[in-house]
Amino acid sequence: MEDHQIKKGMIDALPIVLGYLPVGVAFGLLARQAGLTSAEIGLMSLLVYAGASQFIAVEMILKGMVGLPILITTFLINLRHLLMSSTLSLYFQRNRPFILTLLSAQLTDESFAMAMSNPSKIKNQPHYLFGLQSTSHLAWITGSILGAFFGGWIHPQSYGIPFALPALFICLLLLQLRNLLHFYLMGIAGALSILFKSFLPGNWYIILTALITSGLGLALETRVGPLKGLPQGGTGKE
Amino acid sequence: MRLHLFFLILGMGIVTFLPRFFPMVFLSRWTLPEKMKRGLEYFPISILSSIVFPLFFFNGEGRMEVQPHLLLSSIPVFLFAWKVKSLWGSVLLGMAIYWGLGWIL
Repeated sequence: MEDHQIKKGMIDALPIVLGYLPVGVAFGLLARQAGLTSAEIGLMSLLVYAGASQFIAVEMILKGMVGLPILITTFLINLRHLLMSSTLSLYFQRNRPFILTLLSAQLTDESFAMAMSNPSKIKNQPHYLFGLQSTSHLAWITGSILGAFFGGWIHPQSYGIPFALPALFICLLLLQLRNLLHFYLMGIAGALSILFKSFLPGNWYIILTALITSGLGLALETRVGPLKGLPQGGTGKE
Repeated sequence: MRLHLFFLILGMGIVTFLPRFFPMVFLSRWTLPEKMKRGLEYFPISILSSIVFPLFFFNGEGRMEVQPHLLLSSIPVFLFAWKVKSLWGSVLLGMAIYWGLGWIL
């Protein structure tokens, strides 16, 4: 039963794997050019496992920066995981702290989005989420190391590869739309995020947008009740 | 492995782990007020919207600049994903269109 859940998670991770491998290769290549060894690259993808912040850290190393500025930047970029971790906590009540620690360590935007496309799959199913997340993590590590060794031969910018993850996110976003209120919230969040990103540093635009949009969601829902009426619902939440 | 880089990577791992770890481990032990739970359920849609939409309007350095290649590729993917709701289909279609547009743009 548990093996079955792990396997289901691994299969659901495959679209993420397709996106992570080439981005990992691009990261490995860039990090190699910045003078990191293959072991350092592999270790970073194992322990940090956060794409954007790894790219930025490597660029900062390349500019001769070390230590605290890199740590602060990394922390701020990845602070958005607070939001995702909070949401996931709803589906893992009364699980053992060890299991929750393991699951939280491998949380990323992509695996979170995938997990939330059908929350009934993850509700108290740590094995499923573990399968999903560790498969994605393995793809990220593998890609990074491949990029470190063979980066010069592979071209992660060709064959439409840069659009793999954006296309995945678009579909996962649309799977979230289950009623008309969600549709409005998507528009509001889209506009707010663009506005905030235009003047706020780092990833604050994600955090601020999520807090305001969720507040609006609560306000609108209690005032007018959950709006229904979209013909094609998402994957359906119980 | 150089020692200062080892500690840098370890430190990056720790500061990334903490925000991932705390809510999941502590919030899951508390009974949250109903209103807060419902608020949290709006996070996925808000976060995904703020990941997706800025992609089309900011360049790699974070400056505001329309990205025609990404924007044009996204339109058929939005339509397809809405109608068909297929992850693989959306990814493969998106890649094909992005690749094809690369020859034109």
